[in-house]
Amino acid sequence: MTEIVATNIISPLGRTTEQNFRAVACGRTALSHYGCRGSFPGPFTAAAFGPESIAELAVEGFTRFESLVISSVEEALSRTDVDTSSDRCLFILSTTKADVEQLGCDSSEDGAYLAPGAAARKIARHLGFVNDPLVVCNACISGVTAQVLAHRLLSAGYYDTAVVCGADCLSDFALAGFSSFKSLSERECRPFDIERNGLNLGEAAATVVLRRCVDAVQGCLAPEKSWKISSCSLNNDAYHVSAPSPDGDGALSAINETMTGRDCSALSLLNVHGTATMFNDQMESRAVERAGLSDVPASALKGYFGHTLGASGLLESIISMSAADAGTVPATRGFSQGGVSGRINVSAESRECCTADVLKISSGFGGCNGAILYSKDGRGCGPAKAGASEAKTLHTVRITPQRVELDGKISETDSTCGRVTLDGLYRNHGWDYPRFHKMDSMGKLLFAATELLVSACPFSAEETGRAVLLFNASSSVLSDRRHIASYSGESGFFPSPSVFLYTLPNVAVGEIAIRYGIKGETSLMILDGRNDHLMDAVVDATLKLSDAENMITGWLDCPSEDEFIADLKFLSR
Amino acid sequence: MEELVNELKKYLIEALNLEEMTPDDIDSDAPLFGEGLGLDSIDALELIVILDKNYGIKLSSPAEGKNIFRSIRTIAAYVAEHRTR
Repeated sequence: MTEIVATNIISPLGRTTEQNFRAVACGRTALSHYGCRGSFPGPFTAAAFGPESIAELAVEGFTRFESLVISSVEEALSRTDVDTSSDRCLFILSTTKADVEQLGCDSSEDGAYLAPGAAARKIARHLGFVNDPLVVCNACISGVTAQVLAHRLLSAGYYDTAVVCGADCLSDFALAGFSSFKSLSERECRPFDIERNGLNLGEAAATVVLRRCVDAVQGCLAPEKSWKISSCSLNNDAYHVSAPSPDGDGALSAINETMTGRDCSALSLLNVHGTATMFNDQMESRAVERAGLSDVPASALKGYFGHTLGASGLLESIISMSAADAGTVPATRGFSQGGVSGRINVSAESRECCTADVLKISSGFGGCNGAILYSKDGRGCGPAKAGASEAKTLHTVRITPQRVELDGKISETDSTCGRVTLDGLYRNHGWDYPRFHKMDSMGKLLFAATELLVSACPFSAEETGRAVLLFNASSSVLSDRRHIASYSGESGFFPSPSVFLYTLPNVAVGEIAIRYGIKGETSLMILDGRNDHLMDAVVDATLKLSDAENMITGWLDCPSEDEFIADLKFLSR
Repeated sequence: MEELVNELKKYLIEALNLEEMTPDDIDSDAPLFGEGLGLDSIDALELIVILDKNYGIKLSSPAEGKNIFRSIRTIAAYVAEHRTR
């Protein structure tokens, strides 16, 4: 099991967890109304740092994003004796877009751009970490996913401590993207309210420092006082790349998995995603009702911080634990009159609660859902699943511009023309899936690779316990550049929702979840170059500590249109 | 009007990546969503971008476009009446 030994939040509301919680308790919000910003015509409402805060947080030689991460991690670490230079300590960064604003429409226009993995390495070196860092890029549930991965890697014994930081900066990139989805509210967001009409973006960094303990008492620094990750679950609803299943199927199964064998009456509060979009809040209310949690005091925090994307899963969990410690359920700022069909216990006022368990849920683009249960007594945190054994590789596939290999055998038909193209593969094999043409190159590459794996080993859609964990170095750089061109180019501000969609690299994984009915967890992680040792550790810890029976995993990278590699395997326990 | 209908079909094929389709394959009166072309919610948002970019028509939400986006012909009629360029 894992114990939370320190936390930090840096947001426009404060520089420490305590300052941020006090601001929430006083009902203060970081949201402000703005005119335009850069190439974004506005007006809009967002939670942004003022110029003074940015100057104060700046670390010399680092970008604004990197400085934010460094400041948050350093403050959290200052409360611990964690030795970052130990090879038993891992740094995980949770972010949707890292420093994407430094990227240009083409490479000649790039500023100080570093891909997320490279940025994480630069930050990690500065903070003294010796291990390669891992970046989790799972859209809005990145922060939840990152904690789940840390919890598993610690529980499986790969590391003793993990520093998990989530961060995203307010950017024209995200503003343009969410505006193309018509999901931005011009005014302060109103989670679960009848008049809600969209989200506000926010910027923040939030850090948790996790430590492995043998059990809830032994090895814990503060057995009675500290919060522990008691259980957790991730999944995909395999419904649609940008809309959740209307009845909240994915969120429901994440809650049910997490609460299995646990007492719902011991929940002091439920922290929901509550973005204030029509679809998210409606879906969550249904999931909460179906899970039997309608009476549990629920709270959504987007009215204080906006949607902080890669930070949100961490930031909102930390505030919720602080609230439970203080015996209060934060008011859902912006909520006034219920506007969802599922019964959910949100309130415009803060309420008293007992200090017991905290449940965090989150859902995001690409169909992903996650839940984490935090408790003080850490009960039910069992050891690694009994009977977990070495995974067997059943099939492998490798696609590069040079050749296609299935189970090590070079496919002559796909390579005869001397060069492999993704559209060519689609035609050659006579695949019939019109959505293929809507995908970006990375999506097409993953589709082709999976289609070939399935040809060797047919999937049945009803099978459960299948996960997809993929790694790359370039994130979604091709779609990122196209998106930037769509809103900052000479032709004007016309961001396209279908281009923006693929700038969340986990959406490619969501596409194959839909195609093959994969309802296990689906995650995309970014490294600064392939690291098989770290990838194997993540895969092994996931197979040992989740309900995944089998898995598609490997390296999927698309740095340019004519330079791509899928090197995937299908594993089974 | 027929010219506008054909122009819209070309924009649709390009923006919605309807590969392997030509303007002649799209029935100007067939429903765009559900039956017919089977477009989805992201396509509806993409249609809003097409109208904005090419005709200067601004729609605030897919809900507003619901009646306009019934078929290519209904879009053409709306564009003819409301275009600013």
